[in-house]
Amino acid sequence: MAAQDSTMKRKHISKKNKSAWRKTDIEDVEQFLEDQRQEERVGTFTDKQNEDLFMVDSSPEKSAPSVQTVKQKRKLNALKPMRSHQALENTSKVQDPIVKRNHVRPMKNGRNIELEVCSPTKGRHRQANRDRGLYYEKLDQRLAARESGKKTSKIDKDIWQEEDFRDNIPGLKDKKGWISRDLAVHIAGNVGRKVVKTHASLHHKTTKAKKFEAPHPGMSYNPSLKAHLDLLAQVVDREEGIIKKEQHLKRVTTSMFSKVTPEERDSRRLQEMSEGIKADGDPQSETDNDEDDDRAQLAATDNAYQPINAPVENKKKSKQARSKELKQKELQRLHEAKKALKKQTADLIRIKSIRAELNEEAAELNEVKKRRKSKAERKKFETKRLGRHKFEAPDLDVNMADDLAGNLRNVKPESNLLTDRFKLMQKHNMLPTTVAVTRKRSKVKRFPRNSHKDPGVSFQDLRDQRKAAAAAAKANKDTIKI
Amino acid sequence: MRRPKKYESGEATQYISRRAALRKLQLSLNDFRRLCILKGVYPREPKHRRRAQKGSSEIKILYHTKDIRFLLHEPIVWTLRDYKIFAKKSGRDRAIKDFRNLKRRLALFPEIKLDHIVKERYPTFIDALKDLDDCLTLLFLFSTFPSLHLIPREQSNLCRRLTIEFLHYVIASKSLRKVFISIKGYYFQAEIKGQKINWIVPHYYPFKPQSRQEVDFKVMSIFVEFYTIMLGFTNFRLYHGLNLAYPPQFPSGVLQDNDETLKDESSFVSERIAALNFELLRTDKLQEDEEEPDIDMELLEQDGDSKRIIKMKQDAQEITRLRTLFKGLKFFINREVPREPLVIIIRSFGGKVSWDSTVFSGSTYDEGDESITHQIVDRPSLATQYISRDYIQPQWIFDCVNQRQLLPTNQYFIGEKLPPHLSPFVDAKRDTYIPPEERALHDPSLIETHAQSDDESEEETAAQEEEEDAVEQELLDAQLQRAYQEETAEYKKYGGADGVNEDEEDSDDEQLYEDEDESDDDEEEELDEKAQRLLEEKQKMSVQSGKVHKVNKRQVHKAEVDEHRLQARMVKPRHRNLFRKLIREKQSKEKEEWLLRKKRRNIDTDAKEQKKTAKRDARKAAAAAAAAAAQLGAK
Repeated sequence: MAAQDSTMKRKHISKKNKSAWRKTDIEDVEQFLEDQRQEERVGTFTDKQNEDLFMVDSSPEKSAPSVQTVKQKRKLNALKPMRSHQALENTSKVQDPIVKRNHVRPMKNGRNIELEVCSPTKGRHRQANRDRGLYYEKLDQRLAARESGKKTSKIDKDIWQEEDFRDNIPGLKDKKGWISRDLAVHIAGNVGRKVVKTHASLHHKTTKAKKFEAPHPGMSYNPSLKAHLDLLAQVVDREEGIIKKEQHLKRVTTSMFSKVTPEERDSRRLQEMSEGIKADGDPQSETDNDEDDDRAQLAATDNAYQPINAPVENKKKSKQARSKELKQKELQRLHEAKKALKKQTADLIRIKSIRAELNEEAAELNEVKKRRKSKAERKKFETKRLGRHKFEAPDLDVNMADDLAGNLRNVKPESNLLTDRFKLMQKHNMLPTTVAVTRKRSKVKRFPRNSHKDPGVSFQDLRDQRKAAAAAAKANKDTIKI
Repeated sequence: MRRPKKYESGEATQYISRRAALRKLQLSLNDFRRLCILKGVYPREPKHRRRAQKGSSEIKILYHTKDIRFLLHEPIVWTLRDYKIFAKKSGRDRAIKDFRNLKRRLALFPEIKLDHIVKERYPTFIDALKDLDDCLTLLFLFSTFPSLHLIPREQSNLCRRLTIEFLHYVIASKSLRKVFISIKGYYFQAEIKGQKINWIVPHYYPFKPQSRQEVDFKVMSIFVEFYTIMLGFTNFRLYHGLNLAYPPQFPSGVLQDNDETLKDESSFVSERIAALNFELLRTDKLQEDEEEPDIDMELLEQDGDSKRIIKMKQDAQEITRLRTLFKGLKFFINREVPREPLVIIIRSFGGKVSWDSTVFSGSTYDEGDESITHQIVDRPSLATQYISRDYIQPQWIFDCVNQRQLLPTNQYFIGEKLPPHLSPFVDAKRDTYIPPEERALHDPSLIETHAQSDDESEEETAAQEEEEDAVEQELLDAQLQRAYQEETAEYKKYGGADGVNEDEEDSDDEQLYEDEDESDDDEEEELDEKAQRLLEEKQKMSVQSGKVHKVNKRQVHKAEVDEHRLQARMVKPRHRNLFRKLIREKQSKEKEEWLLRKKRRNIDTDAKEQKKTAKRDARKAAAAAAAAAAQLGAK
């Protein structure tokens, strides 16, 4: 396009001067003429033989440039020295002025592992080599086992067989009984095979509740009427208890407060929140509220500060008053001492009744003790409080009368065994009761795609419908029904 | 002396919060949870929470400090730390795509070893058996699971294998005692080494997904991890106790190899094992038909005939009878009936069982076999029926086991409305009032009498009913005969149900007879003095009419009262209150029972009276009608 434009432009260049004529591009003409002349000299392609035009390539073929994968290239690059080290390379062409320089080997940080492996000099090197050998031996074994595809049973011995630790350590078991058990335990510990004793509290039971609770006979798939009714009664009892508790809570909390309409609630809140705020400079509010009006007037008349309580006066007591007070105090004390003495003498007569009182107190204490003991006994069977949440027994499993099929084929399984087991573990104090928490998901507003929307009704449609209905009604009006 | 500070001794040092324990053990919360479950260390509730929590009153999860110190020495703590390292290193390998190293690392995955923990938690084998309830139920449940988010497929496969092994043991040792179908699942009770082991097998229904809100799957999976190891060792010991090869194998005769089976031998064998229908390979090469592992009851004789020993003897007899309950019976299980529980029950009581070969592998005979005695069916009707066998519903099997005898099959026929399935875990002989209907369910003989009495009271009987009666009678006869045979067998074994005295008498008698025979033979040659004396005695022997032994009721009552008084006097003073309480309870219970019985009696008599009056009225009406008819006829 650009070339075309230039030629188009040239057309309009004026050629009135000689110099203008000189600028004319005649290269294509010259090229053409040159080609013609060359053809005349050498001849055309058609005159030539194939052999003159082409020659057989007898040089050995160059190997095709190897196509390397990115990975291979990366690996090759990894062999090259690092770019960051290039700056350290000596690129100077200047000869080292010191002909024989003492080569200083830089101190290497860390150990030369390779050297340690190849020519171990110390005991730990040899140990490391041995360990490494074991590691690879184990690895080979595992890999071989995996490839053969055979699973070896992990269970190949009777762990409950009586076994003496002294059998495993040579020299500890002697027939003469010179080595005592204590000594043997000590030696075993020092040899590196410590005899561990588990402490007894590990086997203590934390609950006295039975491990296996027999199922209620009403839970049979085909129960007898009595058993089923019994179970149902239990379920109803529980449910009633729950309802009663709920109602109690409702009565004690929700129904204790009077109910108001939302509007009133809002207005009350507004009033409560704006309590004590003076609405000055608001003539409307002044006219509205009489009390406010009065107060505003007061504030207008005297601006002085007025406290709510009367001012405190520092009244001094006279000397006389003080001595009187002291005298009264002394009198009071004497009176009380006298009274106590009198009571003591009176109590001598009351000894019998005091004894009775004491007995009563002791009996009461005894009762309390008994109650505490029985409570402690009861607690042994109950679930302990292990965590923040209290254990709540799961609901009883029951088939309602309609669900009882009476045959094995149509039995309706009622409970979830996994939940049942989980709850049982919680009940037996093996797991703390927990409540699963789910992370709150952020609220996302969702819209249906237009293509998935139901065909809606637009106002236009509605108007059309209305019009059509009106027209129909009109038509009906016009026609006379027979 | 330094002034003691608060919370440096006492309850505050006995307990440690979970957070502190984590810090002490240098483990993450997940690892700590796992460690605690595996080692059986559970949280504790302190007596005074405020003191234990060093003054704070919020409810924290607390552990015993001693327990945590105990965990500190556990070798698997190091394995748990190795896991962390493994995860980091293999994660790095994966990220930089160094698969050679990754492969090496994966091969050397640190495996957790729990053998010593099993031994530590259950120092004796009996301890392990005592704790088998939870373990079995959980494993039976997990064996039905598909691979889930936190439950790998290998785990549920392992659970399936171990539970099947355990069932094989139960069958081989014939230790099943009670079975019960509930809406939860099948309850089983076995008695192994004197321990009662209960487990629940879920109903055979497709897996129902479970919400993660209710159950912590991870925790349950860890429990299962421990329980699988424990059940594995338990199975090992149990199998070796019976001289069975572990892991279970078949004797070479059972499996017929063909191309298909050779292709995947392991799965074929495991499928056959899961069929539960074949005897396993024994290690002792000696097939004992009748094992007698029971304790010889005669050895307990030294203590005299106390009530307990008599009861024990009766129990032992009952159990020997129970172990061969289905012996000689051949069952066929129809397609719609759950196979596994029935196979376990039938085989562990000596019966033979098979099923349709398309349902599951391992069936031994097909439906057309004429020697089948019972076919278990759970559908209202069947098109083709064989005359030679009883078509019964599965509940019959369960009820037979619980009653410990073969019940009449007529109530369990195909399409019949079944009698209620009672729980075996409720003692039928409990001393409270049991209504006659329930008692009839426990004692089938009572049913028959009831039925007969009803028949008698009903004067009009149709021909059909008569036929039915005949069938029932035949069944009853068969039942009686079987019972008689069993009894005679027992009699031979134990010398009568009552005790040993009779046995001794019998042996004496036998000796006597033998002596007589000898004397007869030697009569002609020479008459010893002894023989002569015997002969004389024999001649003197005669049969006298028996006298009815009269029981003096008053005397008996007096003796009872005396005994009770003596008992009351023997009670130690500190147990007096308890004794009184027991007596009071007993009396109130008796009174209650008496009242209920009286009530029942009244109701029964009322009903009878009404029936009688109704009948009388009917008869009168009939007579009046007849008279009227006669009058009409006369007119």
